[in-house]
Amino acid sequence: MRRWIAGVAAAAAMVLGTGPIAAGAGVRLTGAGATFPQPLYEAWVAEFNRTHPDVAIDYQPIGSGGGIKSITDKTVHFAGSDAPMTRKEQDGAGGAANLVQIPSVAGAVVPAYNLPGVEKPLNFTGPILADIYLGRITQWNDPRLVEINPGVALPDRVISPVYRSDGSGTTFVFTSYLAGQSEEFSSAVGSGKSVSWPVGQAGKGNTGVAQLVQATAGSIGYIEHNFASANAIAYGAVKNAAGKFVRATTESVSSAGSGAAERFTGTVLAADIWNQAGDGAYPISAFTYLIVYKDLSNLPSREHAQAMVMFLRWAVSDGQAAAAKRDYAPLAAPVRARVVSALDQLTYKGEPLGPSKK
Amino acid sequence: MSRGTTAPTPPGPADPGQTGGTPLKLRLGVVSGDLALGLLCRGAAALVLLMLVALVGLLGHAALPSLRAFGADYFTSAEWRPNELTRPLRGPDGRVVVVDGERQTETLPPRFGALPVIYGTVATSLIALVFAVPLSLGAALFLVRVAPRWRAAAPVAFLIEFLAAIPSLAYGMWGAFVLVPFLGRHVEPLVFRALGDVTWLKFLFYRDNPVTGQSIRIPLEGRDMMAGGLILAIMILPIVTAVARDVLRAVPRSQIEGSLALGATWWQSSRAMLRYGRAGLFGAVMLGLARAAGETMAVTLVVGNRVEIVPSPFASIQTMASLLANQFNDPVTEVHRSALIGVALILLVISLLFNIVARSLVVGGQSRTALSD
Repeated sequence: MRRWIAGVAAAAAMVLGTGPIAAGAGVRLTGAGATFPQPLYEAWVAEFNRTHPDVAIDYQPIGSGGGIKSITDKTVHFAGSDAPMTRKEQDGAGGAANLVQIPSVAGAVVPAYNLPGVEKPLNFTGPILADIYLGRITQWNDPRLVEINPGVALPDRVISPVYRSDGSGTTFVFTSYLAGQSEEFSSAVGSGKSVSWPVGQAGKGNTGVAQLVQATAGSIGYIEHNFASANAIAYGAVKNAAGKFVRATTESVSSAGSGAAERFTGTVLAADIWNQAGDGAYPISAFTYLIVYKDLSNLPSREHAQAMVMFLRWAVSDGQAAAAKRDYAPLAAPVRARVVSALDQLTYKGEPLGPSKK
Repeated sequence: MSRGTTAPTPPGPADPGQTGGTPLKLRLGVVSGDLALGLLCRGAAALVLLMLVALVGLLGHAALPSLRAFGADYFTSAEWRPNELTRPLRGPDGRVVVVDGERQTETLPPRFGALPVIYGTVATSLIALVFAVPLSLGAALFLVRVAPRWRAAAPVAFLIEFLAAIPSLAYGMWGAFVLVPFLGRHVEPLVFRALGDVTWLKFLFYRDNPVTGQSIRIPLEGRDMMAGGLILAIMILPIVTAVARDVLRAVPRSQIEGSLALGATWWQSSRAMLRYGRAGLFGAVMLGLARAAGETMAVTLVVGNRVEIVPSPFASIQTMASLLANQFNDPVTEVHRSALIGVALILLVISLLFNIVARSLVVGGQSRTALSD
């Protein structure tokens, strides 16, 4: 229903956009998609408006799948998605050659828990998290947890795993990471935005998972890093590929994304950044993406297309500092360079929209 | 009520029996007005019916891809897995198949079985009935037979009906913050201490881990089928009580007085009343069931949202309405969306059936009593 309303709203905005507004009085851009970056995008729009008061931008947090569907149907000008477009989704929207997909920031998924009496942040490893969610590790004082948490008096308490009941990019990132850490998890649960968990209870959204974790002593749940830190929810460190226990911070998540630039190809930029090398890299990290058509002729006018490009360029340059303030991890410099060169290829009705002003 | 004020005024042109002296023009206007209103009313009624038909048709059409893809499996499978699963291919001997030194894998497509959510809906609704029906019938009898009409019956009836006006989300919040912790901290551990060692009751407290095959303790944290049933019981109390009260009130005095004249005690005559109105009372229960089956937000917050069948009231479950609230916003694939619409269709058909049966029982029962009144 919300998607339907968003679609109508976006269509209405597009119709209105072709009117006198396009003549230079101001332009309105519409986008829809992932909920995870929505608070950041809202802040970006507000800040961008200070220097560009004639550009109005509207982003509807309807979910990644909804965003990709909306851009495929051309009911929005840009889409946000936590998972990169699959090959099938790219083909549905005209193929990779006609699309530009850029990472906008990186985020992280953290293991949040409720363990009364334990103050020190706990350590976890990928295989241990996988076994907790498989129901193989059921007690907080399991020898494997005790071993990696020296000096912590872990209680004799049952572990209650909590997961997301709705489809989400958070689940996609968490299960993709666990599937890489445990062969049993990979073959029995697998990865995806929504999977079938052998144990645990489910809550809707980050809010629902956080509520369940906070209400249940002995529980553990996976939530987005910025949500956990904004709501002061305790979360642990996770052992990375270099063998170091790292807690999610904007630095450790940015560091996980720094090597991704080498793996980008074409203009549909995508890279999985969980379990990356580097002492400081947080292992359960992922990019969130913005998607537009390479030729912006689906926008009502050249002014709209120029405003779109201006906003995207601003977001990956000046916007990155605003991201860090809100616990979203900024893109590393090499990634940013690749993003900017992808944005240089945007056109309007075949005409280039000009390279970036450095 | 406006009839009382218009009665003394001379008959207007709208009264067809008194139009002898009015001009022809006016009479024509009246006739065409009647015609227009008649058509309008028929059109409105037809439109309402058409909307229902269109709704069922549209849902059916949208659910078709999943029904076609899964067939009977959609109704009989207990697995709800929106993601693709790639796992090592195992031969008949249970060992991983290796070809040219390379381990072979198989990919299982997503699978959608609606059975767990149908089970969850039926189970929570039945628990709700077990708690709500005796309470409702008791309250209805009290209102009709015991309570002094003005000093108790009216305020009590008002309060019970007031329960129906509380938003569903408020019940859910109360459930999540009061009922669930109460069940999890006090009731369920007590039940476990009392019955946990009884061998043939193991199914109440243990379940199998589908991956490891081990038998594991159900967490007993109160976020389960029982909590869902109790919340629903409170939510359907008002409607069941209100309808049951109307049914009992419609029992003719002659019935009650007849039974009293034959020497029946208060309890025996009450039983005669309940028996007399049983069709209507059953209808009241069905209306409650329809309400329970469609309830969403309150249920989502207390049942633990696990799409699986574990035959224990202390296991987390998922209902049809709650599954839709959780997953319909952003389905993973088109098949997923279609499967969810299929669940909506099942829910619609079930509620429709409950309502039709309930209405026909209540109305049938009342018209019969009205005749003998």
